[in-house]
Amino acid sequence: MKKLALIVLVLMVALVAPLFAQGGAEAASAGFAPSKDIEWVVTSSPGGGSDIYTRMISDIMTRLDVVAGQTFLVTNKTDGGGEVGRLQVSRVNAGNLANHTLLTFNSGDLMPMVKNTANRLENFTPIAIMAVDKQLLYIGEYSDYKNFDEVLDAVAAGKQVVIAGSKGDDIATYEKMIGELGVNQNQIAFITNDSTSAAITSILGGHVDLVMSKPAAADQYVVAGKLTPILALSKARFSGNLADAPTLSEVGDYDDVEVPVWRGVVGPKNMTAEAAAFWSDAFQAVSESDAWKNEYINKYKLVPEFRNHVEAQTYMAEFEADYLKTLGK
Amino acid sequence: MENLQLLLDGFSVLFTLQNIGVTILGAVLGLIVGAMPGIGSLAGVALLLPLTFKFNPTTAIIMLGALYYSNMYGGAFSAILLNIPGDSPAVMTALDGYPMATQRKRPGQALLTSNMASFIGGTIGMIILTFMGPALADIGLKFGPAEMTALLLVAMTSIGWLVGENPTKGLLLTMFGILLASMGMDTLSGSPRYDFGSIYLLGGIPFTPFVIGVVGFAQVIKLMEERNKKTQVSIEKLTIKGSMITLHDFKRLFFPAVRSGFMGTFVGVLPGAGATTAAFMGYAAQKSFKNEEPLGTGAIEGIAACEAANNGAAAGAFAPLLALGIPGSGTGAVLLGGLMMWGLNPGPLLFTNSPDFAWGLIASLFLANIVTLMIAWGVIPFLIKILSVPTKLMIPIITVVCVVGSYSTSNSMYGVLIMFLSGVLGYVLTKCEYQTAPVLLAFVLAPLLESNMRKAFIISQGSLDIFFQKPISLVFIIILIAIMVFPVVRPLLIRLGLMKRKAS
Repeated sequence: MKKLALIVLVLMVALVAPLFAQGGAEAASAGFAPSKDIEWVVTSSPGGGSDIYTRMISDIMTRLDVVAGQTFLVTNKTDGGGEVGRLQVSRVNAGNLANHTLLTFNSGDLMPMVKNTANRLENFTPIAIMAVDKQLLYIGEYSDYKNFDEVLDAVAAGKQVVIAGSKGDDIATYEKMIGELGVNQNQIAFITNDSTSAAITSILGGHVDLVMSKPAAADQYVVAGKLTPILALSKARFSGNLADAPTLSEVGDYDDVEVPVWRGVVGPKNMTAEAAAFWSDAFQAVSESDAWKNEYINKYKLVPEFRNHVEAQTYMAEFEADYLKTLGK
Repeated sequence: MENLQLLLDGFSVLFTLQNIGVTILGAVLGLIVGAMPGIGSLAGVALLLPLTFKFNPTTAIIMLGALYYSNMYGGAFSAILLNIPGDSPAVMTALDGYPMATQRKRPGQALLTSNMASFIGGTIGMIILTFMGPALADIGLKFGPAEMTALLLVAMTSIGWLVGENPTKGLLLTMFGILLASMGMDTLSGSPRYDFGSIYLLGGIPFTPFVIGVVGFAQVIKLMEERNKKTQVSIEKLTIKGSMITLHDFKRLFFPAVRSGFMGTFVGVLPGAGATTAAFMGYAAQKSFKNEEPLGTGAIEGIAACEAANNGAAAGAFAPLLALGIPGSGTGAVLLGGLMMWGLNPGPLLFTNSPDFAWGLIASLFLANIVTLMIAWGVIPFLIKILSVPTKLMIPIITVVCVVGSYSTSNSMYGVLIMFLSGVLGYVLTKCEYQTAPVLLAFVLAPLLESNMRKAFIISQGSLDIFFQKPISLVFIIILIAIMVFPVVRPLLIRLGLMKRKAS
């Protein structure tokens, strides 16, 4: 019995001791510099796009040594589809903690947040936008159509065309596109999937006519010849193996449709302006680094587009206002 | 036999000291991670992923692949010994494993059966993967929304086997499971359902804490009732010798394992269906074959069927992942993310561009299979000592493990809360003699069924024709009708002398 008690006591001490080992030094900031661990919240699960983005940036920042040797603690908070994590970050109390908390925030996060909860951009401090993504429509090997003209002809003749895409930002682009084309949701139907890879699976099997995807997810299939881009949902054509896809204005008498998918970072509302400026510069340093260009942008085929905290604030606010209008709020 | 040659090349990639070392390491970690309730392959792979950045990609993926695969072995351990499945595919293993360990007093044999069945199922899966991997992946692609709906409807009928004597209760429980599963955000329309204004419920009820609660924590509550009972298994049997299975036992487990191995591999290839679905279907299919003891009372066939199926599915899941770059599950998605980080692109070009890597990985699965089997065998005597731990000590230990497992799914106490609530629910259900298996099965299958059915209807513009026009779907619909009609038709066939009356 005594031996057992001793073992239990040792275990308890071992478990509790680390709680006291952390302790952030509260440094007076004359010109902000990180002085404790930085908590970076990602509202999706490990291995996904946002997670890779976060870990990549934190890795590059550590390598570039812009965070005074402090450690990034990347935390995945996926409750409530990510809403809980966002709410928690927005409410971080003013003080040192607020200056050391970051949140990965994309357009695909803002849209459901604004649609389903009362949370708004004003509860955050925008820090930067790092990259922008846009979508294309692709056909598969079994598709009946060879280009987008044929798609439009089929719709005019009364046939239904089905597009598979992912939830979140793809839906907004789809709705804008059918609005521009003047067709309704039955003529060109959209099937929402949990992820783009599930959408691509369905077109590879020939179950849908078109798939909407950002360049990165579809790239390997384009190279292998299993997917062919037929429409660029942006104001200008893409480059590389996507250059053959026309924009909507080239197909007919339409305006170009694009709903840019931006990837950004925000902080809690109570982050100080100084800290926001510091982080903005840090992200700028990352965006200009070779590591970023080679290991992320080129690999995932994003469009690098850096906006600092002032520009990001305007951009995100405009995006939110536009989206709220489409929701009728 | 070009693939065989490539596989042998893969083995030569594998047999470096470093690669063999990480295979063993991955296998051991996977066993441990798999045995702990709630911490499954997803958590294990996600935790270890950053550590592997320093290795070269081949070594890293070999370690993660071994971990993912041996996780399926480990899940059975706590299922058999504690009636708490280590991960969701092990839920069905507990149904026969735990009674075999406690009521029939053959814990060592139960563990050995599960190990052997896992080995057989996994080997079958890997052989199929080697020779038919890309082709299998293409077949998987043919399963679109309509086909998946038909298949899942057949799978739902397997609930009928699990309801026991009272079909009304079973139906009620199934409906309840579907209701719980529908809480949260509906993917297809983007609108929240049953969230009651709570931001947490927007994400629905998380699966892993729910399962841990209903099966695991409910078991803990039940143990609290029995806390002063003496332990159930005498110490004499707790040696390797005492755990050996007889030749007769082996014969009993072999065919169910082989059958389920094939079935599990195939289900693992399908988009969206994973090891859990495979285990359910393997177990349900076993009901229609000859079993020496009735399923659910500790039959070897039951354990063999589920374990072989879930290992087969783990191997099968690599087919779409490697050949098409399509992850079949959350863990697959993490592996995929890792692959991309290392600069490899799984997809149609992987086998052509990086054959070393692809075949090295497949070869490592074979090795992991053997290594895991040996380690699992070796630890059986230690494991069954767990059964001799007094109940009142087990209760807090298991509770802590359940809490940690539920917390780790989303790094928040929400999972823990769900686990406690589900535990109470599971306990109440069991006490009132309701089965929990239909609830779990419905909870797993209903979201898949719903999303596929609705997608099928969008494609067909609301018409039912699509289910009958697509050949694969038609086949499954016919099977479905046959299953549904059979109990009604059976007495007629017996009367007509076309069937022998089953001796009761």
